[in-house]
Amino acid sequence: MVRRPRLEHALETGADATLTLVAAPAGYGKTTAVRAWYENTGGALAWVTLDAGDNEPARFWTYVATAVDRVRNGLGRRALHRLRSPGMAIETAIDEIMNGIAEYGHAFTLVLDDLQTVTDRDCLASLEYATAHLPPAARLIVLTRADPALPLARLRGRGKLAEVRASDLAFTAAEARELLVDRAGLDLDGPQVGVLLKRTEGWPAALCLAALWLRTVEELDRAVLEFGGDHRFVAEYLSHEVLAALGADQRAFLLRAAVLGNFTAELCDAVLGRSDSSAVLSDLEDSNLFVLSLERREWFRVHALFAEFATARLALVEPTEPQSIHRRAAAWLQSRGLVVEAVAHAAAAGDHEVVAEMLSNDHLGLIRNGRSGTILRWARTLPDGVVIEHPDVALAAVIAALLVGALTRERRRFLLLARRAKARYPERFGAYEECVMAMVQSAGMDDGVTEAVVEGYRAVELARRSVDASLVASLAGLARALYFAGDLEQAWSAASRALEHPDAPRRPPGYAVCRATLALIAADRDHLTVARAHADAARATVGRISSSRSWLGAIAAEAVGAVLAAEGDLAGAERELAYAERFVADDVATLDHAQLLLRLAEVRRRRGRLDEAGESLRRAREEVDELADSGKLPPLVASVARALDDARRQASVGEILELPTEAELAVLRLLATDLSAREIGGQLFLSPNTVRSHIRAIYRKLGVSSREDAVARAEAMSLLAEAQSPR
Amino acid sequence: MGEGGTYRLEVRGHLGDLVGHSFPRMRIRYKNGNTLLVGPVRDQAELTGMLQRFSELGLSLLSVTALDEPRVGS
Repeated sequence: MVRRPRLEHALETGADATLTLVAAPAGYGKTTAVRAWYENTGGALAWVTLDAGDNEPARFWTYVATAVDRVRNGLGRRALHRLRSPGMAIETAIDEIMNGIAEYGHAFTLVLDDLQTVTDRDCLASLEYATAHLPPAARLIVLTRADPALPLARLRGRGKLAEVRASDLAFTAAEARELLVDRAGLDLDGPQVGVLLKRTEGWPAALCLAALWLRTVEELDRAVLEFGGDHRFVAEYLSHEVLAALGADQRAFLLRAAVLGNFTAELCDAVLGRSDSSAVLSDLEDSNLFVLSLERREWFRVHALFAEFATARLALVEPTEPQSIHRRAAAWLQSRGLVVEAVAHAAAAGDHEVVAEMLSNDHLGLIRNGRSGTILRWARTLPDGVVIEHPDVALAAVIAALLVGALTRERRRFLLLARRAKARYPERFGAYEECVMAMVQSAGMDDGVTEAVVEGYRAVELARRSVDASLVASLAGLARALYFAGDLEQAWSAASRALEHPDAPRRPPGYAVCRATLALIAADRDHLTVARAHADAARATVGRISSSRSWLGAIAAEAVGAVLAAEGDLAGAERELAYAERFVADDVATLDHAQLLLRLAEVRRRRGRLDEAGESLRRAREEVDELADSGKLPPLVASVARALDDARRQASVGEILELPTEAELAVLRLLATDLSAREIGGQLFLSPNTVRSHIRAIYRKLGVSSREDAVARAEAMSLLAEAQSPR
Repeated sequence: MGEGGTYRLEVRGHLGDLVGHSFPRMRIRYKNGNTLLVGPVRDQAELTGMLQRFSELGLSLLSVTALDEPRVGS
């Protein structure tokens, strides 16, 4: 390896910054540079390599906390504990991680590698929070191929951001010379090094490839000259040349391993029919270019840049080979219980039958682990005929589409396939399939609320008799259908029965829906403590298994929003409900969406934002009009509309007859806070009785009967804003 | 939100057969030492995915043009 002191220096001077951004495309040696800097600096290091599966705050920070804990046993323990406990706010867990880092007391570096794979807004928001709360002795280094959506400009402006970018990471002439002449031992003069540098634009991966290749050529001068004059894409040119120069055996191995993506020596042995993969891999790893070992022990992958060319080349030379490699890999991985990896290979091989069978066998585990997106991804690769032959696949896809959310059309398509499967292959429709079919029909509520309740009872009955695996989910579907039907008693009892199931928490989707439904009912009845506990549990359950940006996440957010509204935190309620609405809104009208819009209309009315409330109500009404048999929604539409009309009338009359006095305005301003009447008196040096009489006068003048309505009305009339602005 | 259609992507350098193999639906032409890929793109997600692949391959992107985007005012 070439030593690159200037990069180490750049990273070192970044020590004063909160965040160091190392941003460059693949093959720029980001990881190598940071590792080299660290080896010379020392101190504690927690290194986390992220992948697309980490797009969920709880999962993301669990990895970070685990890495921090590895630095010294116990540093991440409290954070990990928080992350496992229900109802935690992610900020609390981050605080604990920061406490752990601060407790360490010496220089501490947290590295997040491959951050470009994290795109979830919640994750990035939590990272922004962490950046702002990093202890003084700690620094955060982010390695990424694309600039993350963090407030970089703000950090830059405050001098809190250090950057190492592609132009810094590109090789200089001196570094290229060291690599090619001193390390690789190539007999090149200055102008020749210049040609190579210019042709590769200093791209480290390409220069390393060039060094490997030039070591194998007979006529060095000519090779350099030809390379310099060629217009082909530099990585393609070099991959081609380097492959040509490898021994036949190594080449055959590499081309095939590249097809595998991530692999172990054992997998290579099984798939490639050899027994020396481990030795071949360690040779290749020494070349430092083709094969990288991953942090997951024993797993390797071919450098992404090179894998692309290797795969394409193999497909050109031996067109059928990639398919049979995928096929053998699928079989081997399945025998090791690595289902997700196995299905990926089966799908790549186009083995619909195998994909369908694996999905059939493992769909329950995938659903419970929040892998609905994975189920859909594989189910989509299957032709209708294959889905119909595997009713469990059709049903799993229906459940997955429901849980992901806003996929009503796709959910109905798979439901249709399930029905055709039942008609065509009744013998494949056992008790389990019958039960799940009833469950998805009740949860989806496509045929109206009455039908959903009927199917829900049927699902529960079947589940209780013989299909325990779907009992919690069936009760969840039933509880929700009953809630929409307006039968709160029965809904409460169904959801409660689900929670009594000893295995309930280990079946997160159904469990979360039950908790959320209980929260909604408790909030409707003003049982705020109970409601809050259920809503928090729903959210924590969802957080553990899947992204909050899903139907399931929306169900939890709706519950939290309803509880906040009942508690009087209208701004918080609106935020949660608006968030939920985004992941339920679809191009088809649904009961879920209509109900959320009504909740939003109600909260916006109470905040005095009458126009926006009217807009939400209009959209809700449109959806309800499209839906037949929508249970309690039509009367709800009417009552929300009535309340809104009243509010509008008041607002227009409302030029109120008598304005609050200065003293009353001072009290009104404090009514918008969390202070009690007694505390308000304390702040204003008034007796509790005086405060109470002011409050009565305020209510009378504003024509309201509660504190929150008074605040909402005052906001709508800009009474608070005027009072606050002079300060 | 721009939807599907025909796009022209220009990247630096000559992409050979192997890279063409990675973007099978795109027609490849060369101009002034650079490569033009022209072809159908289903939607924004597919386009973003292609741009990401370019970046993974270390290709420098010079321009992206939606060929059948109606002109403003027409």
